[in-house]
Amino acid sequence: MIAGRDIVLLAHAGCGMLGILAALWVCVEALNTREGNASRIRFGSLLTTASVCVAWILGGYWYLHFYPAEKAIILKGPWPFAHNVFMETKEHLFFATLILAIYLPICAAERLDRNAIARRMVVSVALLIVATGLAVEAAGAVIDHGVKIALLRLHS
Amino acid sequence: MATGEPTQRLSPPASAFALAAAIVLLFNTALACVKDAYAPLSRFMGSLTGHNWTTQGLADVILFLAVGAILTKTEWAAAIAPRTLVILLIASTIAASVALAAWYVFF
Repeated sequence: MIAGRDIVLLAHAGCGMLGILAALWVCVEALNTREGNASRIRFGSLLTTASVCVAWILGGYWYLHFYPAEKAIILKGPWPFAHNVFMETKEHLFFATLILAIYLPICAAERLDRNAIARRMVVSVALLIVATGLAVEAAGAVIDHGVKIALLRLHS
Repeated sequence: MATGEPTQRLSPPASAFALAAAIVLLFNTALACVKDAYAPLSRFMGSLTGHNWTTQGLADVILFLAVGAILTKTEWAAAIAPRTLVILLIASTIAASVALAAWYVFF
């Protein structure tokens, strides 16, 4: 049986990854823009926004309700930097991804097939979402490993 | 764009919210560092919503929407060259990422 808290955590990471993939999709579509794929670009950009916003809400709920116990474990373990550096950076860098994800549909609403600078803006924003999103996901893996090795040391 | 003519301009909302995003990314970084260094601010932010992180996220989103709406009305951002806005947004994202990581590594 998977506990509700674990479902929240996995859904948080899953929505974040979906947002990254949607942003990558938008980037590829924008690089090959023409009149026919405008609706896909707009749908992909809205999917990015929705995914990242849901990841924010789920991650926020998990962070406020369940993370304090894991933080205590990390800080007693061999990798305290998993919290002090990686979690602290992740929880604030995430807001950059969030703001960029909210902005993406605004610039994707332009006629990209007739506007090279708008296309450049969409590609840039989408790539920034991918880059910051992957950094946040990677930080999540380090935090997870910080808990794991602290518990392994406790039980060895 | 309302017409189908090729253009090299961003619409007023696209320009305004690009500038707003760049401003908010730097604001978010500054706020993260200041609240980390000055505990009373962190406590005050926590008292508003229950946790300082929640307050910071809501402040970022509200500021982004408010600054973007104001800049759309005034069309100040539309006066900036679109290429400059693209560079500004990329630079502010990189600066925010590096500054946040450096803050938590070194301080």
